[in-house]
Parts: sequence; C-alpha cells; structure tokens
Amino acid sequence: MDCPTCEAMVESYLDGELPAGESARFEAALAECPECGAKLERLQTQRALIRDLPTARAPDLLRARIERELRVDTPVPVSVPVPRVWPRRTALAASLLLAVGAGWLGGRFIGREGSRETDELIAGYLRVGLGDRPVEVASSDQHTVKPWFAGRIDYAPPVHDLTASGFPLLGGRVDVLDGRRIAVLVYRRNQHRVALSLWPASTPGGAAPQIGERDGFAIARWRHAGFEMRAVADLAPKDMSLFASAVDQAIDGGR
Amino acid sequence: MSEAPKPDGKALERFRIVMLPHLDAAYGFARWLTRDPVEAQDVAQEAMLRALRYFHAFRGEEARPWLLRIVRNTWSDMRLARSGERVPLDEAESVVDAGPNPEQSALAGDRRRQIAAALAALPEESREVLVLREIEELSYKHIAAILDLPIGTIMSRLSRAREKLAVELGGRLGKE
Repeated sequence: MDCPTCEAMVESYLDGELPAGESARFEAALAECPECGAKLERLQTQRALIRDLPTARAPDLLRARIERELRVDTPVPVSVPVPRVWPRRTALAASLLLAVGAGWLGGRFIGREGSRETDELIAGYLRVGLGDRPVEVASSDQHTVKPWFAGRIDYAPPVHDLTASGFPLLGGRVDVLDGRRIAVLVYRRNQHRVALSLWPASTPGGAAPQIGERDGFAIARWRHAGFEMRAVADLAPKDMSLFASAVDQAIDGGR
Repeated sequence: MSEAPKPDGKALERFRIVMLPHLDAAYGFARWLTRDPVEAQDVAQEAMLRALRYFHAFRGEEARPWLLRIVRNTWSDMRLARSGERVPLDEAESVVDAGPNPEQSALAGDRRRQIAAALAALPEESREVLVLREIEELSYKHIAAILDLPIGTIMSRLSRAREKLAVELGGRLGKE
C-alpha cells in the first residue's frame, strides 16, 4: 500500500468505517508510513478534545414543556363533543367549551388579574414540581409542618395530612404571590405533586372549588374556612376536585 | 404544516419510551446549530412536537438519527422564517460556555471554552458534520441520512471540517 492509498484511508479508519479486512491492511501499511501515523494521531487528539466537552443536558423547563405535550388528554365527563385533535390555535376555544360544558369556571374566566395570578401559580408549581428542593420543610407530620411556618409568614395556615384520601403530605414551603409571602403545602398523588397555596381571605364566606386548566395543569380556586385556596397540579380535573374536597373535609374535621 | 391526528395513549407511551431519551441529544445538537441556549430550546421543543406529530411515520429505525434529522429540518425552517437575524460570530462565542463544572480547574474550563468556541466558529456546513460524527458518534450512513447528502459528500465535508477545526484550535490554544 502506498502513502496516497493509506492517507485516503486514515479518516475512514479513525471513524471505524473501513471493512474488517481493509482495516487490517491499513494497520499493516500504517507501520511503514510515519506521515499517516502522525496524521492519525493528530485526528485522535482532536477527537479527544471535542469529546472532552461537557454533554448538553436539556433544561428542566424544556423537559417539562414536552412532558406536558405527552400527557394524554384525560377524558372528562362532558356532554358536549370534545374534539380529539387539539391544535394549538383551537385549544383556547376547546378548553372554554370544555369548561362551559362541564359547568366549571376555568382560570381564563377570572380575567387579567386572575391570569397573572395563574402565571405566578404555575411558576410556583414548577419550582415545586421540578426543583431539587420541592419543599423547604419535608415532613408528612402536620405537627412539624405547621409550626415551621411560624415566623416565616404572618398567619398560621391549617395543615393536614391527607394520606387517607390518597394525597400524602410531603411538606411545605414559602412562596411569593402578588408580592406577598404565602404558605404552600405540597402533597403527592401517585407520581404527581400537588401544590396548595393558601392565605387568609379578605372576602367573607366560602366559594366552591372552580377547576380550570391551563397549559396542561389543573388549577383549583376556592375559599373555605376563611382561607383563599389555590391548588395546582399536573392532574386530571377530576382528581383535582377530589383533592379540594379532601382539603375542605380535613379542615372541617380538624376544627 | 399538515395536522396529523394527535397520537393516542399507546402511541404517546411508545414515543415516551423511544424518543424522549434522546431529548438531551436533540437539545445538544440544536445548541450547536443555533449557538444560542434559548433558541436551542425553541428548536428542540418544536422538533419534539414535530416528531410526535409524525411519529406514525416512524418505522422502528434508529430513533436518535431520526429525531436529529427533524431537529435539523426544524432549525432550517425556523431560520428561514426569520432570516437576517443571524447571531454574529463574536456573540456566538460568548454564548458557548463550557457548562457547569465547579469541580474542574479554571484552566481546564478555559481550555474547554476555547475548544467549544473553535467549534462554534466553524461554518455551519463543517460544524454540523463534526458534531454529528464526534459528539453524537453517528456513522457516515446516519449522518448522510440526517443531512440528506451522499456518503461521499459527508466524507469530504468531514475531512475539510477537521482541517478547519485544527486551524481554529491552533489559533486559540496556541495563544495560551
């Protein structure tokens, strides 16, 4: 094998693209061709430099956005026909249709203020759902979680473990909503996390849970026992409804 | 873009198993194509959605090259849609960081930054073929399928790209 022949083979050899027989022939020729030997070495060094670069990892938020797309549209008990295909353009119309059909008032009905609150709630939920530390106090014991909030926020939230209803308490954290520090309780439903934000209500009386959907997250809003409640989770609306009732029942029972 | 029906639960589950593990590769390739971490997210997300939409056309060939081909097409389309707003090279260099490596010495970090900058500075034609071969470690056949070019063209582009990178690296690492 002369040098032009073996030079032409250096890169294919480096890339493992030579057939086995050719490879052996090339290796034999290489021993007698210092120039090609040096070239191979340079290419191997360059490869090592490139492969030493850190591997890219998809950011968590990107992963979350894609996960959201991959969630099966959960069937909802409605009498109106729900389109199976939800192109982005019609998603708004479809979810309004869904909300009306099911008798729910979605987050979108609440207006601009509500939509900003929704943004903040979802951002808070992403911190709970994706962060390395979903809770600042990790405990399933309500008697540990409740006192933890003392001195961190200016009210005492009712804290109840809801394991009996299928929502074990994971812990709590403090978040900021509309410039105010609020208590967030984190629960688990199977592999999903539920974030319950609650603060003292300024309006008297109760309001039944209204469950909306935004970007694939279920959001429940209600007022109970003097507290404004907002729950966010990547759960089906039906499960979110169960969660809201479980919270209310626990508060009523714990009085 | 035509609207294929959204896959059913079974197809979604299969997509999750077959394609989702390659999200890092899709993002990584998009990052080298765009040279911008934010734009790379948009490209990777759009590519995953397209992959999902056309998943019914996936016939069980190798998933990563299939997905990377969609990433590259997505990038071509997105760039075409708003041509003229290219990232200037000087800027491109600053966006390629060496990633979080707190335990690495500053020197190694700096060296990596130089290598990343040299690779980022290559023309796209050279950059994409090198990334697919050296980082994604794909065969000529797969690279040819992703770039939609004959294998012979891949070989000559790869060879030219290696020469160009050697020049870039010589200029950068030589300065140390």
